[in-house]
Amino acid sequence: MFNFREELKRYDYSFFGICTAIFVIGILNLYSATHSQGIGHEEGLYKTQLLWFVLSWIVGIVVSFIQPKNYFRLAYPSYLVSVILLIVVLVVGHSALGGQRWIGFGPVRFQPSEVTKIAMVFVLARWYSKASPDQEIGFRELIIPFIITIIPAMMIIIQPDLGTGMLVVIIFFIITFYRKLKWKTIMILAVFGLIGATVVYNFGLREYQKKRITTFIDPEFDAKGSGYNAIQSKIAIGSGQFFGKGFRRSSQGALNYLPENHTDFIFAIFNEEHGFVGSMFLIALYFALFYRLIWLASNVNKIFDSVVVIGVLAIFFAHTIINMSMVSGLMPIVGVPLPLMSYGGSNLLTFGICCGIVTSISNARSLF
Amino acid sequence: MFGEDDLVKSHQDRAEVILNIIVISFAILLARLWYLQIYHGKMLFNYSLENRLRKDVVRAPRGMIFSRNNILLTHNVPRFDAIITPQYLEGDDETISYLGKVLEMTPDSISKTLKRYQGQAKYLPIVIKKNISRREVAIIETETARLPGVSVETFISREYTDKDTGGHLLGYISEISQEKIPRLRERDKYDYKQGDFIGQAGIEQQYDLEIRGEDGYQFMEVDAKGRARRHVTSDDLYSGVDNRAAKPGKNVRLTIDRDVQLAAYHALDGKDGAAVALDIDSGEVIAMVSRPGFDPANFSTGLSSNYWGQLVMDEKRPLRDRVIQEHYSPGSTFKTLTHIAALEERVIDENTRVVCNGGYRMGGRVFHCWKKEGHGVVDVVKALRESCDVFYYSIGNKIDIDVIYKYATLFGLGQRSGIVLPRETPGLIPNKDWKKKRTGIEWQKGETLSCVIGQSFINVTPLQLAMFYGTLANEGKLWRPHVVKEVFSNSGQVLKRIEPELINQFKISRKTLDLVKQSLFEVVNQPGGTATSQKGSGIQMAGKTGTAQVVSFSADKIFNKCENQEYKYRHHGLFAAYAPAGNPKIAVAVVVEHGCHGGSAAGPVAKAIVSAYMNKYFPNYQKKILAQEQAKMNYAQIMEDNRANPVPMIMETNVKEYYDETGKLTRNYSLEKNGSAQSGPVE
Repeated sequence: MFNFREELKRYDYSFFGICTAIFVIGILNLYSATHSQGIGHEEGLYKTQLLWFVLSWIVGIVVSFIQPKNYFRLAYPSYLVSVILLIVVLVVGHSALGGQRWIGFGPVRFQPSEVTKIAMVFVLARWYSKASPDQEIGFRELIIPFIITIIPAMMIIIQPDLGTGMLVVIIFFIITFYRKLKWKTIMILAVFGLIGATVVYNFGLREYQKKRITTFIDPEFDAKGSGYNAIQSKIAIGSGQFFGKGFRRSSQGALNYLPENHTDFIFAIFNEEHGFVGSMFLIALYFALFYRLIWLASNVNKIFDSVVVIGVLAIFFAHTIINMSMVSGLMPIVGVPLPLMSYGGSNLLTFGICCGIVTSISNARSLF
Repeated sequence: MFGEDDLVKSHQDRAEVILNIIVISFAILLARLWYLQIYHGKMLFNYSLENRLRKDVVRAPRGMIFSRNNILLTHNVPRFDAIITPQYLEGDDETISYLGKVLEMTPDSISKTLKRYQGQAKYLPIVIKKNISRREVAIIETETARLPGVSVETFISREYTDKDTGGHLLGYISEISQEKIPRLRERDKYDYKQGDFIGQAGIEQQYDLEIRGEDGYQFMEVDAKGRARRHVTSDDLYSGVDNRAAKPGKNVRLTIDRDVQLAAYHALDGKDGAAVALDIDSGEVIAMVSRPGFDPANFSTGLSSNYWGQLVMDEKRPLRDRVIQEHYSPGSTFKTLTHIAALEERVIDENTRVVCNGGYRMGGRVFHCWKKEGHGVVDVVKALRESCDVFYYSIGNKIDIDVIYKYATLFGLGQRSGIVLPRETPGLIPNKDWKKKRTGIEWQKGETLSCVIGQSFINVTPLQLAMFYGTLANEGKLWRPHVVKEVFSNSGQVLKRIEPELINQFKISRKTLDLVKQSLFEVVNQPGGTATSQKGSGIQMAGKTGTAQVVSFSADKIFNKCENQEYKYRHHGLFAAYAPAGNPKIAVAVVVEHGCHGGSAAGPVAKAIVSAYMNKYFPNYQKKILAQEQAKMNYAQIMEDNRANPVPMIMETNVKEYYDETGKLTRNYSLEKNGSAQSGPVE
């Protein structure tokens, strides 16, 4: 049955290919950002990241050989497991930066909200492909998917990790939009959401509660003096100008002006060193990945597969655009990493598995 | 399955919308990058090279501590530190060696300090030398060319109006130690940083969170050499940069009266010990002094290790607040409690007579009276007045230690008072259970005999002793002692008021109260009393002397003169009192370590405290007391006179301070003609 040569001939290399290209840029950039910090434990970070890359790609490639119909079967169990893991992290989790986000397995630390993202994609895809998939979605059809989403989202938010919680909700909206959420419903939701939020923020909250919300979004925000990171990030990006200062020439990072420059602010360092040209190139690579995913979503045979691909796109896209926007000062700072560029193991693993999932769907496509 | 291909295809328009959203998002992002990198690129590039932001801490002025009459007891004084901001440091060796010369430090020690903070962001300043002189400040500020990266930081240190007078009570502030920062952050939910000062004892510690205020910060735009160019506000480039003004700390008004405090302090000149005075109707602490002391100002200027070592190594432990952190055998001051317990439990009554021959035999052992030749026939009043040990031994023979324990506990002895000050010690009142648990041995009858005269296991703090006599004076109300009246903002708004709080209230029979109060009055005011030399004028004290053995002497040494012993073996002298006897208002307890006698060593301190207090707040009532003294009234006559011709005891509100701001006594508070017991320099 299983013909390895046939498999390889059919194998879709595009996803792992583009992602590897972005990762190579990322690891060079990470090396550059951390090489001169004089802080012992940060200098070797790129080696750790490389190890995580190898592990993530191995897992991703293994996943790519799974038949897509198994994702359908796995949808509910994986959702259940992710909810249980979220309960576990709330009870016994390790805290970092004021939130309980991690579970430790010996030396390895693991963030259950990463599992949630993938499980959400499966479970929503399964629901939408089963519940009258040929109809548009109105308020009544929205109830159950919304409940499915809000349970893990709230559990992530109370960790507290508002950034990731919002991300899960955004993924839900992108998937639901794709599964033909009625335009009328979208308008009503948008209008009510806007009015509701404005009213609550302006009249329903006292001054100290508003302040609490801003500190809730990012506990470090206030302690370090509000916009300090944002302004340093803007200076880093702008000072790169058209061609950038060159590899290992970032001064903002080297002087430690920009804290967290190897995680959330890695895009700023990249811009400082490689300028507008560099970021155009990087954005083109991300765009190629997203374009390829959208193409795949329209060219599979099963609606379940199609929705899963859009879900994976949602995960990638939401991370990318939120991170780039906050670093360049278009959005307030929430801790969301840049896919394949930011330092962080569980993240990389998530994106590796995502690559595996869409590759396996692409491979299965040509079976018919 | 049929038509699933078509189903997927039917979603293609939605896929296109998503693609458009992605395209538009990236377009906006690229426009933003264009705006930053091309449109503002040159400017931001220059900023990244030359213009840096420096975040300067704006220290919040610490709140002030006031006396009950709004006399300022603390001052904030600016001090200066020499700091280095590593990113602006140039020509390292040369700069450091020149800085070393200016600050009289070795270049090595400066380099070592720099190395220690290598890991932190290079725009954060590092303190090189604390509390530098004005001359050093001037050199650093004028020679910026030779000292790139070196600057002066101002911080606020704390000085105290009356130096060591309130050292223990007010406490001190000192720099937070680096190891403690994480723990304190957790505890106080406050973002402590290196270089912060924190209250470490007394009021400064207990009310630190209220007094400390909240530091602000100010972003400065500095040039490549670290020189400040302008304050940064939230304009277009720096949008999002927030300066924060410092929030000044809240102020604290104490219940302490500065005059009485200073009177107590000076009365203890040349002595080691403690004195405390309480308002018996509220538990307000009017004065609270412990000696030897220390000048708390030294801690906030970066204490020299010399002075610190001296304080820590000193055998007399000057850092300890003897009023609440030390306990003593109460000695004969405890007999008042035994007396009350025995009367209430009907072990004795007003007709009880005991013959004292100077000793009391129980089992095979003789318990000695302090008066070798004996007191002769002793009744219930004479017993307390002349402090006859044999009388109390005879009570001890009949009373159970658990009964003593019960009454001592009612009066607040042997337990923490709950005064809001750090590290209070509970003292100890023993009972049978305690001894059994502690030593495994049953309670011995002979131990009760030692306990009833305030020796053996019994230990109390001076504060508890004052509470006990205050509760006797007000006839059964045990108030929680407190030193803070209110916390208020700089605009004078009261934010928190500490209300008097009853710990417990109980009944003592009229007959007992009359007998005990008469006896205590006679201790001071009737021939034969153990403290008649402390009678004074216009104060009408009622009290009890006590001596506490520091070591137990063998029988042949018991009657040796105390003053002939080596200092550290001499008895402690105690005196506990309330006043005025006919209409009590204030309770006082004094311990003079190794003072030998309660009356002559501790008595004058109590007299000075009560004199200062009465003279300041009740000058009108003092006239009544003087008239009663003139008429040589005994206790019963005084009570009768107070009933027949009452004079309301109204506290003077418009008081004038006796001591000026430099601590000099400007008026005499004692009514005695020869002024033998007053203290402080009088002109």
